[in-house]
This record gives sequence, structure tokens and C-alpha cells, in this order.
Amino acid sequence: MSELAHLLKRKQSIAAWSDRWQAEAARFADSHRDLLPRRITSAQLYGLGNVVRSARRYADIERFIRHQAEKAERAGRLDVQGYWNDLKDALGKLRGEAQALLKTLPFPAGMDSREALDALHRELAELYVQHLIAHSSYQTAGAKEN
Amino acid sequence: MGNQAVQQVALRVVLERAIARKSDEYDRLARQYANQLIATKLDKTQVRGLETLASTTDKVSDITDWLKLRVGRDSGRERWAKEGIGRNLLTDLEGLRRDARDIVDKLGVDKDKDPDLERQVHLRLCREFLKHLAAHFEYLKVEQER
Repeated sequence: MSELAHLLKRKQSIAAWSDRWQAEAARFADSHRDLLPRRITSAQLYGLGNVVRSARRYADIERFIRHQAEKAERAGRLDVQGYWNDLKDALGKLRGEAQALLKTLPFPAGMDSREALDALHRELAELYVQHLIAHSSYQTAGAKEN
Repeated sequence: MGNQAVQQVALRVVLERAIARKSDEYDRLARQYANQLIATKLDKTQVRGLETLASTTDKVSDITDWLKLRVGRDSGRERWAKEGIGRNLLTDLEGLRRDARDIVDKLGVDKDKDPDLERQVHLRLCREFLKHLAAHFEYLKVEQER
């Protein structure tokens, strides 16, 4: 497979994954709707979005989320701590998704399998968080309307 | 040209015709949305922004996330959140998936061979719908400003 064909196939597979998983991220937001927007603020969610977009490794995302959970715990906000822990689990499980996707996609040139898996995991997390932020914002607006 | 290639081209022609037919059907509903949007504080660049996003992205979820965010941010309910316009548009865009499914079903292609086809047709239908919407909106905006 040529490099261009590989890139196109990878892009298409990830796009299809993102469209499929939008509903899952929306379910996560729905199941934590009682925390929005006061306990989990849009500023916190946009902060998460920035971290996820700029992270170079998946571990950077996990570190940020763990830090958020610890801060909430120290402040005695156990519900907020629960949110971040649930999100850490949800994003952590995407590693399995990345593994499954990688089976159908050859590694990019010059990347070993661990690097490729981590890069894809980080990319899937970014898409999941994009859906999560959008749905949380939408849901908050709906709550205000009602 | 081999037999298989001829079949592929024939299939592509039938698909393009089906999408064009649906696009024509969407004109009326898109015009209704344009009539509603013209009564909001939205300007041309915001509606064109949605059309541009739709024509450049490879994900339906990028379009719906964009709308969700705009509805969520419109706390004054003067733009995308005014009288539920953004919510209704979102529902209609998501509903185009049914049309995409009908088109693919009628093509009679083996879905196992191209499992992503329905999603790609859905994206094309969203683009068509939003193209009509943006065109009507711009036309009305010019009329309004005269």
C-alpha cells in the first residue's frame, strides 16, 4: 500500500470511528448532567480540550485528569472527583479501540508499534473529548431553556 | 476498462444521481430554515462557516459538534439557540442518515465490502442540505440589507 493510500485509509477509519463514538461520548455527558455547569464548568472542559489537543503522549492527558481528580478530592468535592475518575476510565478504555483499529491499519513509516498505539490512543481521546465538550455545552443550554 | 471497473463507475453514477435527487428535495426545508435564521442575529459569515466546515470535514460528527457548541454558547438565545432553530437543524441533519441508508439499500451494494458507504453518503447529504441553506440565507440577507 502506498503511503498516500495508507494515510487516506487511516483518515477514513478514524473519521468513521469518531462518528460512531459520538453517541458514546454524549452518553457520558448525559450520565453526568447533574454536575453541569456548576460543579464541572465549561472552563474546566475547555481546559481539558486544550490539554488533549496539545498532548504529545496519552500519559499527558491521564496526568491532567488525575490531577483534576486529586484537586477535587482535596476540596472535598467527591462528585467532581468521580467525574474525572469516570472520564479517566472512559478515555483509558479507548486504548482497546486504538488496538483494534491498528489491526486494520499498517503503522506509519518510521514508527514502532508502541508509538503508533500511543499516537492513535491520543487521537481517539481527542475526538472523544471534542464530542464530550460539544454535548456538555449543548446539554447545559437545554437545561437553561427548560 | 475491466468489467469490475465498469460496474464501479456505473454504481458511482447511480449514487451521484440519487444524491442529486435528494438534494433537490431538501431545497424547500433548507429555505424554511433560512427564513427562520434571517430573523436571528446571525450574519453571513456564521452560516457560511457551517457550510465551509461541512464541505471540508470528513466527519458528520464535526458538523453536529459545531452546531451543539454554537447552541450551547448562545446564552442570549439570539442566534443558533433562538426558538430551537439549532436544535431542530441538528435533528434534521442527523435524520438525513435515514435517507443515506435508503440510498445505499437501493444501490444493492454489499455493505460488508464498503461498510463506510452509508456514513459517507450521510456526510454528502449534510453538505447538500447546508449548501442550500447557506445560499438561501445569503440571498435573504442581501434582500434584507437593501
